[in-house]
Amino acid sequence: MQKFFTGKMRSLLLATIFMGSWTAFAADEILIGGALSLTGVQAPLDEPGLKGAKVAVKAINDAGGLLGKPVKFINFDGKSDPVTVGNISVELIDKGAKLMVAPCDFDFGGPASREAQKAGIVGISTCASDPLYSAWSLGDKQFTLSMWNTTMGATAAEYAFKERGWKTAYVVTDQFIAYTKSLSKYFVAHFDAIGGKVLAEDKYTQGEQDFSAQLARLRKLDKQPDVIFISSYMPDLGTIIRSIREVGITSPIIGGDSYDDPGLWDALGKKFGSDIYFVTHTWLGQGASPKARDFVKLYKAMYKTEPDTSFVATGWDTIMLMAEAVKIAGTTDGAKVAKVLETNQFELLTGSLTYSDATAGHYPLKAAALVELSNGKPGFLGWRQPKNPPAP
Amino acid sequence: MLSDLLQFSIDALTLGSLYALMALGLVIVYGILRLVNFAYGELIMVAGYTLYLLGGSPLPWLVMAVMAIVMAIFTGIATELVAFRPVRERSVTAVLITSFAFSTLLQNAALLFISPRSRQVPLPDLFSEVVQIGEIIVPVRNLVTIASTILLLALFALILRRTVLGMALRAAASQFRMARMVGVPANLIISTAFAISGLLAGVVSLLWFGRIGSVVPGIGLEPLLVAFIATVIGGMRSLPGAVIGGYVLAMIDTGFNYLLPQDLLAFRDAFTFSIVIFILLWRPQGLMAGPATGQRT
Repeated sequence: MQKFFTGKMRSLLLATIFMGSWTAFAADEILIGGALSLTGVQAPLDEPGLKGAKVAVKAINDAGGLLGKPVKFINFDGKSDPVTVGNISVELIDKGAKLMVAPCDFDFGGPASREAQKAGIVGISTCASDPLYSAWSLGDKQFTLSMWNTTMGATAAEYAFKERGWKTAYVVTDQFIAYTKSLSKYFVAHFDAIGGKVLAEDKYTQGEQDFSAQLARLRKLDKQPDVIFISSYMPDLGTIIRSIREVGITSPIIGGDSYDDPGLWDALGKKFGSDIYFVTHTWLGQGASPKARDFVKLYKAMYKTEPDTSFVATGWDTIMLMAEAVKIAGTTDGAKVAKVLETNQFELLTGSLTYSDATAGHYPLKAAALVELSNGKPGFLGWRQPKNPPAP
Repeated sequence: MLSDLLQFSIDALTLGSLYALMALGLVIVYGILRLVNFAYGELIMVAGYTLYLLGGSPLPWLVMAVMAIVMAIFTGIATELVAFRPVRERSVTAVLITSFAFSTLLQNAALLFISPRSRQVPLPDLFSEVVQIGEIIVPVRNLVTIASTILLLALFALILRRTVLGMALRAAASQFRMARMVGVPANLIISTAFAISGLLAGVVSLLWFGRIGSVVPGIGLEPLLVAFIATVIGGMRSLPGAVIGGYVLAMIDTGFNYLLPQDLLAFRDAFTFSIVIFILLWRPQGLMAGPATGQRT
């Protein structure tokens, strides 16, 4: 009897869900699901991506939609919690999502991609850059929009050694997450490979707000390094750079996309914000490409303010990349869209992008933007693509 | 060698001063209520965002700083009114949850109404200057931190010992029910404790943001953890204990930062907590025993 009831209940429930999703989404719309986090530690990276994605969805719909259908984008707060991100993804896929936008980090974005893979649809992370975000670990329909840390670290190393002739480096690595650790690893590997010398490496723990011991060690080096590579993120990144500059160390400082934050530039200000270089996803400021200027215009029309970080471009690009791939494939079928992504070149705000096939991990072959900070103001140095970046 | 020792002492004293003030702000409430205020870190966050919001204004920095401290005091009192007073007498668990809830509420308010990304905190020029002492270069800010902590601690000790308010606070910390019976107004004393907690958090925030230069919604977590560990080391209910705990914790942290080889530095916290465990095995009450006590209120 009980079995009969539960069985009946279940089919009733399924029917309701099916009816619900059918009436709401099937046939007349293409649903893109998102699990980007608006709260918690992941929010600083995901919230800008979400804003950019919303601008892209509006732009697509204003231009007549995708495959003749309007695009609907639903994002639920992933709360910087891998389990929540996974659950949300299941829910959205049940609702009929044909594509998934995954959070900007392997730990938090991975669950969204795994659920997408299970359902046979394409999932793309907005800006996860650890090479763990690959077809190897997540499946043959999963991608990340970002260059990998191999490219980011190698670009920094090549700029320092080849373009500026800085032969010796000092490396500080924040121990908190995979991103900061692997970025230093690839910088060191590539700097060594092209002939540079790492004088010393030091470690830091996010949240500590105390760089004094590391600073004492740095100052005791027999010879000051030509360049200092710091892999950390805000707000501690500000503390580290301030501590170094305060005591009169003027060596150039170089790092990755976590420097791409007006909060950092303001915190350093005129006094400390010079001779700092970083590798990031794109450039939206003075002298940006016409495409980027159009994006900023649309962004301003939607939010009434300038973007407060260039990470907004990663959200726009993720949606636009999905749309273009679906357009070429002529369907939202996961396998076909993934194939299109593997075999085409895409021109995005964050540079030109091609992916390797799944056996090579969906390695994103992508150019990196190089930015200089001078008197607390950023300036674009151009796009770079490193030769033979280290293997992941 | 001598300059190394001097460098270490100044670094440890600076960090210790910050930790001591953080711990004192937490223990002043714990001493009376026997309850940890988990929204304590948010007092620092609120002060930080106050500075950020005032950042563009033409006000002199000192005025902004005073306003930041006032906001921290105000938030401290609000914590008591919202999270503690309504449920204080019913259940400890409820207070635990309400203080967590208030903390989450404040953090999410910052996330929603300002931004999850970092925002600049205005700082005076003095905070980015340095002085040369012998062979070492010391940021003036570190000396300011040490000096203002000593001043504040002295003032605090004086108030506790010599004023009616101080005596009432100490009486409440020792035997809350008895203190009430002899006419110490409970609500007033508890609100005062929260206000003092806010004042300390406000001062800490100025010095803490002086190092960082920017504020994020989650900035209060580290100070809360530090304060909690320092009070456990020093003795959960002793005011001097909290101060000593703060300095001891900073000494341990800085010591390991200086001495551990690179390969082990990533596990520094494991070493720090091992020492904390040893201290607690040796003195389960913490370094300083608190006043003899009756029941929790």
